Amino acid sequence: MKHLTKALGLGLAAAATFTACAAAATLTIGSTTLSAGNASVTACTSSLSATRNVGNSGNVTQVNVAGIPTACSGETLSVTLVGSGNAALGSGSGTVGSCGTTCSVTITSFGATVSASNVTGYSFGLTGA
Amino acid sequence: MRRLRLTPRRVAVVLAATVGIGAGVAYAATLTVGSWHLWAGSQTLTKGTCTLTGTTQTSDTYVTQATPGGTNGSATTMLVRSNSGSVDWSFVSFNLSSCSLPTTGGADTATLTLFITTAPASNRTLSLTPVLTTWSPTTLTWTAAQSLTYGSSATTSFTTGTTNNVSKSATLTVDVDALIKNPSASFGWRINDTTGSGNATTTFATSENVNAGRRPQLVINYEK
Repeated sequence: MKHLTKALGLGLAAAATFTACAAAATLTIGSTTLSAGNASVTACTSSLSATRNVGNSGNVTQVNVAGIPTACSGETLSVTLVGSGNAALGSGSGTVGSCGTTCSVTITSFGATVSASNVTGYSFGLTGA
Repeated sequence: MRRLRLTPRRVAVVLAATVGIGAGVAYAATLTVGSWHLWAGSQTLTKGTCTLTGTTQTSDTYVTQATPGGTNGSATTMLVRSNSGSVDWSFVSFNLSSCSLPTTGGADTATLTLFITTAPASNRTLSLTPVLTTWSPTTLTWTAAQSLTYGSSATTSFTTGTTNNVSKSATLTVDVDALIKNPSASFGWRINDTTGSGNATTTFATSENVNAGRRPQLVINYEK
């Protein structure tokens, strides 16, 4: 009985270890035991457009994205200032809020000083639950 | 009761069973990813340049403290003077409608160029302050100019030098950017001498000047 107790103890410790490992690496263990399924990923909008403000030096001071559907409220919007050759000149993110009929986001930090003259467009990414 | 011995085989059986339990827990966890929103998109900007000059796109005048009720809207030159009791201010504004810019657009750069026909004897600093209420060059007087609303601070300034017949440029990007987004944001600029003491006059060509190359000009590099 003493040996059985020891074996069960070792087993439970191992179970805890493997459970943790399995949760951290679900993609590697399942080919023979996991079944296939579908997880739907939807979008809360189909388009966005931005305007930006500048200081007198011509550098971008803020980017404003308005007209965001209220279905996106609380989600995270990432905006990248794009330059020639699709170069990323700077980027920032904010939480969709200030909702009335639609919502808006104002981003004031881009990780770099960006001249408005060099900005040829914006890239958007919207994620949330 | 039968006594169980701890053998390698029994340990392996117990481990195999517990791994199965662990895998089952992990599989259940993967079902929680399905309710997320994801979207990516882009927007491309159009760049261009718009140059404004001449009487149809420019309004300018000057007012003089010494003649508080006088108007100078049709003068071919305008004055900026610093002199106690006899100050002169110049005003200039531009009509951006011919640029056909949407309110979602903006100025990348905006540069005002003025032509000094007669420079002061000593170098002066002139400031450009946005005017926040409407005015007309045909009716603006010194007295009326005291009732206009101005920006809380000058947008920029430049120095005159002492040479006649030279162009001077000033950057006004922030004001023009705001004006594109809101056509009622401001109504041009007041130009006044902020050097301090001293009696000095700077004379600029106006939009009515016979020499078209000397007229005030606003060049806007824009996006839309």
